Amino acid sequence: MSVVVPRRGAPGAAGAIAAEHARSRRRRRLRGLGKHAFLIVVTFLLVAPFYYVILASFKNSTEIFTYPPKLLPIPPFVGNYQKLLGDTGFLRWMFNTLFVAGTVTLIKVFVDSMAGYALAKLDLTGKRLIFVLMLILLMVPLGALIVPLWALVSAMGLTNTYLALILPPLANPLGVFLMRQFILGLPRDLENAGRLDGLTEFGIYRRIVLPLIKPGLVVLAVIIFTDQFMSFVWPLIATSSDNLQVLTVGVAALRSHGGADYGLWSAAAVMSLVPIAVFFFVLQRQFLARSLAGALKQ
Amino acid sequence: MTTVPSIGESTSGARYAIEILGVTKQYGKVTALGGVDLDIEPGEFVVLLGPSGCGKSTLLKIIAGLEELTEGEVYIGGRLANYLKPSARDVAMVFQNYALYPHMTVRSNLGFPLKMAGRPRDEVNQKVEVAANLLQIASELDKYPDELSGGQRQRVALGRAIVREPLAFLMDEPLSNLDALLRVQMRSELLRLHKRVGRTTVYVTHDQVEAMTMADRVVVMRGGLIQQIGPPDEVYRRPANRFVASFVGSPPMNILDGRIETADGSRRFSGPIPVDVPGLAGMALDNGPAAIGIRPEELLLVSAGTDDSFPAVIELVEPVGADIFLSAAVPGGAVLTIRVDAETRVAEGQSVHVRIAPGATRLFDAGGDRIPAGERA
Amino acid sequence: MALGTEIAGGGRTRSMRLSPDQHRRLRRQARIRRELTAWMFLGPMFLFFVVFLVVPVVGTVWWSTQSGGIVSGTKSVGLQNFQRLPELVGATNAIQNTLTFALLSIPPILIGALAIALVLARIGRGAAVYRFFVYFPVLVPGVVAGLIWLFLTNVDFGLFNEVLRFLGLQPVTWLGGGSALGVLAALDVWRNVGYWAIFFVAAIIGLPEELYQAADLDGAPPVKRFWYLTLPLLRRILFFAIVVSTIWGLQVFDTALVLTNGGPGTSTTTIIFRVWQYVFGSNDKVGFAAAISLVLIVAILTLTLTQMRLLRSRRGGD
Repeated sequence: MSVVVPRRGAPGAAGAIAAEHARSRRRRRLRGLGKHAFLIVVTFLLVAPFYYVILASFKNSTEIFTYPPKLLPIPPFVGNYQKLLGDTGFLRWMFNTLFVAGTVTLIKVFVDSMAGYALAKLDLTGKRLIFVLMLILLMVPLGALIVPLWALVSAMGLTNTYLALILPPLANPLGVFLMRQFILGLPRDLENAGRLDGLTEFGIYRRIVLPLIKPGLVVLAVIIFTDQFMSFVWPLIATSSDNLQVLTVGVAALRSHGGADYGLWSAAAVMSLVPIAVFFFVLQRQFLARSLAGALKQ
Repeated sequence: MTTVPSIGESTSGARYAIEILGVTKQYGKVTALGGVDLDIEPGEFVVLLGPSGCGKSTLLKIIAGLEELTEGEVYIGGRLANYLKPSARDVAMVFQNYALYPHMTVRSNLGFPLKMAGRPRDEVNQKVEVAANLLQIASELDKYPDELSGGQRQRVALGRAIVREPLAFLMDEPLSNLDALLRVQMRSELLRLHKRVGRTTVYVTHDQVEAMTMADRVVVMRGGLIQQIGPPDEVYRRPANRFVASFVGSPPMNILDGRIETADGSRRFSGPIPVDVPGLAGMALDNGPAAIGIRPEELLLVSAGTDDSFPAVIELVEPVGADIFLSAAVPGGAVLTIRVDAETRVAEGQSVHVRIAPGATRLFDAGGDRIPAGERA
Repeated sequence: MALGTEIAGGGRTRSMRLSPDQHRRLRRQARIRRELTAWMFLGPMFLFFVVFLVVPVVGTVWWSTQSGGIVSGTKSVGLQNFQRLPELVGATNAIQNTLTFALLSIPPILIGALAIALVLARIGRGAAVYRFFVYFPVLVPGVVAGLIWLFLTNVDFGLFNEVLRFLGLQPVTWLGGGSALGVLAALDVWRNVGYWAIFFVAAIIGLPEELYQAADLDGAPPVKRFWYLTLPLLRRILFFAIVVSTIWGLQVFDTALVLTNGGPGTSTTTIIFRVWQYVFGSNDKVGFAAAISLVLIVAILTLTLTQMRLLRSRRGGD
């Protein structure tokens, strides 16, 4: 950006310089406004669909189809929600999802942190090999393993049980890497001090490592929980009975079975988002900052 | 060793507090320790001194059981310690970075080892109080480590070791993270503490001033091997080899290379400066390359040339408080460091005459070992 | 074996008190104890990992050599399934659709994310608010996202057509034959752009400030700054993003199921969709299902390995 700077001493120079400053300030402010404008547009595009669906959930079938659409549903129609909560298994699905996700998260937080501790700080023959194996299979999703997983689960006699939903997701090694990374950051002398003070390895894990990687544990828990909340392919296949359905599968069933009840569907969409919205809103500041800092250390 | 009421008696009945036999440590192809033997008397303050990578910290960790040795044996209090867990060896360690538990208060930090050992609550509290008072941190007992200054954290680290009343203290460069002033203060405090508590201490440092001021015996190490063991005085005045000679003492000893020759029927050392090596005639040494060592304070300025003095030109004058260190060049290019009193008036470029204090010259053979002169003490 | 060395000034030559054999035995015992402890920590996770990840991967290979149905029993047919795969219309179609989908969705996701990140990184106030909204769609489960987009794409009352109508244009059948896959891709962009945007923001914030200050002193305009400075510095992160988003893109299923149910026809039937149909929708296609799954797994592994190789070789700064 070329700037014409008047020569010092030239007539009107002082005034010209002041004007130049004012111009560049204005430019900067415009640029700032431009940035905000861009972000507002992007945000609007991303968020508008939600509002539209929330709207629809409060309309009855005829209202949904009318054009031009009412932008504010007054009076709100609650029939959709009544139907959702009363006639479908939605509440049951929600419970199942929360139960499974919660259990998986709880188990994995401990199992992954213990494994991460072993990989980070303990002697193991073949440690490197195991690490590499986990790294290679890290990105293979449960969805690509439907065939053998289903055979395995039925062979174990676990079809249609909560265990079928809980066990396979425990295999994902992402948590181990995350934990290992956090634990590697702990100073070696700290565990040595613990050893000299008489702690067993488990004592070191419990009293020194765990308390000190708490933020990492939180990040891990959030990642696992949201991942489980959204998982679809495996629950679809693993369970067939109604009262074991998870949220995602149940909602998908609403779409495929039964007619096109748009009101019901919009209510289902909205209700599904309530737990996530709350969850995310509460944790948003910590999670976004910390998870990225941790992840980018790799 | 007189001890004012110490916290507890050493439990050892053995002759030595710690014995190290033929300890080697290999990391793959790298030899960190190449066969170390050392006996430490009860109540002794032994300093492992050496440059980075010489193996001193490794040796300390092996004694503590935090590293596994490749070969050799370690006895603590007369018991074979090789296969004992660190907490079973009856030693306590003070780490360079203090390694305080950040999520516990000072009180909990201090009491932790006792709690782990299952001591009753009253005993733990009492011992914590005693240690805190001894180290003057009683007022910080309920604070957390990140609320303390470096010096205070250091004391807590010390306190945690003291409460265990171990057979020996192991200290891994505990003062190197403190600023210079604090370091000097803590040095004398540590010494005072040692005189009071009187427990065997193995102290690792790369700072030879610390070693000289604190040790009963110094163990100079380099490249995984012990170079010399002895009281500070001896290591300073009668270094075993060139390395020890130049490592101990600041500024370092002047070491000049030359040759041993026979001329006019007598053997003499010929080098950059004329020296008379005491007892050269009787030394069991062939003619050939050799070196001499003279400490800066053993070189004296004389007002006028005498028989045994030689000329030099001052290149640099460095005043250091009570002394002045001169860099003086002799004909032939060698540069000597000479210590003079701060009152001495010298200037750069000045020509001076230098004399060697009688008996000060040490001779080192081609391999670097010092050759002792006959029956000189 | 070092029995002791003679050192000047105070050591002794001496030998050890236990025999080498005794030492060997004791050392082994200690080592076994240590190993056992380590396995107690790693064990549970490793067990799950092997049983539910490694074994199924191997199992896929085995199943791909079978022909028949999962319940009705199978017989081995060697590599036939793979040989017949190209002819199997459903399979090739699924692979094609998935690849097209990836091509349609990933560039907009990453470019959009980069654009958003560049702006978001330089915003002081309100950053947290924007971040919240931008990231929110990421957390929406695929089926719910599909439902939401049903409301956007519906011919009669969908938001898109309402907008078109408002502008006086003709309404479009968004989920019709030719455009369904494109709409599916758009859905994915909507869902995932926030994830990568936040990811890139963290990366951009991590870039060394001094380089930009130097560029400013050299008088570089913003476009040049981006092209010659930001982009090369972000190269490794970008590569990572491309690989990972591709791997995720290949797994698309739940959105396709809810939005279009694989249609119209088979235009949005993706790989996993097809596998599911083969396994649970028919009685004799397990082998094919496993074969396609294996193709997917191999693709993912290849991507993973190239990523690892490239990240390793380009160590250090540029």
